[in-house]
Amino acid sequence: MKIKYFAWIKDLTSNEEEELDCNKINNLEELKIFIISKYPDLKKHLDKEILRFAVNQEYISENIELSAKDEIAVFPPVSGG
Amino acid sequence: MMIKIQRDDFNSEKEINNIKKLYSNVGAVTSFIGYVRDYNNNNKVRSINLEVYEKMAYKQFEKIIKEANLKWSLIDCLIIHRYGKLDVNSKIVLVTCFSEHRKDSFESCNFIMNYLKKDAPFWKNEFYDKKNEWLINSN
Repeated sequence: MKIKYFAWIKDLTSNEEEELDCNKINNLEELKIFIISKYPDLKKHLDKEILRFAVNQEYISENIELSAKDEIAVFPPVSGG
Repeated sequence: MMIKIQRDDFNSEKEINNIKKLYSNVGAVTSFIGYVRDYNNNNKVRSINLEVYEKMAYKQFEKIIKEANLKWSLIDCLIIHRYGKLDVNSKIVLVTCFSEHRKDSFESCNFIMNYLKKDAPFWKNEFYDKKNEWLINSN
């Protein structure tokens, strides 16, 4: 699966986009555990519920199943308009 | 509906007229235009850099226009949102709603803008004289 990072989250991961091994990550909760272990700086933002998650360009808050073809995005609160 | 996500500036009147000329039953057109201000957070703003998750922005704009169509009687709807480096006084966004009567165009335009400020996947990095700061929309 593909994971994309935006705005200042991207600065913390030093990575815009990466491919993850979907055999190890079955759902959104497992993905959250994976990203905070790989990028510990994200943990406090996850704990404070600052991080937003989108799966296939839709906002997701519940723990949904993920598959190999999914595109996941992790980003901070928005500021468009 | 017409949705454009682009780096370049646009001519609001031309964009609105391009849609208006398609419909003789349009009696009301409401537009909102957002600009880059010169002052924010007690700092003089030099420019902003707007980042976008483009694929999601298109999908979310389509969804919100469809939702507005269920709530109001709309003939057409236009959203243009820019990204990239924008100087003070630059246009950021245009939302225009076309309807027979003003209530539908006023209220739907406000509804779309409220959604856009809350959920549309854009992020402003504001540049001052000596620093820069990522913004969060308060409402």
